[in-house]
Amino acid sequence: MLSTETINDVLVVQVTERRLDASKAPAFKTEVAALTEGGVHRLVLDLRKVDFIDSSGLGVIVSCLKRLGPSGNLAIAGANSAVRRLFTLTRMDRVFSIHDTPEAAVENMLA
Amino acid sequence: MSPNLSLKIDSDLGSVELVAKAVRALCSDSLGEDALNDVEIGVVEAINNVIKHGYAGQKGSAVEVSVGLRQDRVVIDIVDQAPPMPPDALGAPLYGHAGPSSTEDLPEGGMGLSLIQMTMDEVSYSSEQGSNRLRLTKLIGSE
Repeated sequence: MLSTETINDVLVVQVTERRLDASKAPAFKTEVAALTEGGVHRLVLDLRKVDFIDSSGLGVIVSCLKRLGPSGNLAIAGANSAVRRLFTLTRMDRVFSIHDTPEAAVENMLA
Repeated sequence: MSPNLSLKIDSDLGSVELVAKAVRALCSDSLGEDALNDVEIGVVEAINNVIKHGYAGQKGSAVEVSVGLRQDRVVIDIVDQAPPMPPDALGAPLYGHAGPSSTEDLPEGGMGLSLIQMTMDEVSYSSEQGSNRLRLTKLIGSE
């Protein structure tokens, strides 16, 4: 459910699943954990293809941030209104920087 | 009587998407985009909670969701026959006043019940004769 590319040395992970809900969270967590092994500290999560995330999916994103370590930086790109609403309600919009595109997220991260 | 539709799924997390999409479609004439997002989050969290905690993640039991469209509100009932929630479960806030102070403190779970409260205008819960009913109400035009 994930595909990756590197833009200016930042790992960009695109979620190709349309819904990150409780039924998908365990597989999502396993895939994210595999990607962040071996010292990844900066990651952009591209959610342009995602329609909906529930609190289980959000929990995996939080666990991913924790895996990036004390100096870790995880930015969100391309979240639709439903996904942004979840981040706002849970105050996670203060934890993650949220951008319209992966390119903007990478640029902000390197600035 | 106002129109009402009942949907029934198995207690399988993989089936929640079907109800979520149906409820969203049913409410789409009554509610705007922001309220539809709230309803979808609230309904998904409520059904997930029934399956994960009520039915302990076991498939093979029923979750019934009924949607009533009234003039001024959408009323969604989620009915199950699992052991009931503790009486104070729905009242707990997501964070204390200050919110989480560090990355390590950020929650990875336990957000569902708070999200139901935050996304709905009214939430009530009752248990009677082995059946639990969570009633979620979204007022029309309250955005």
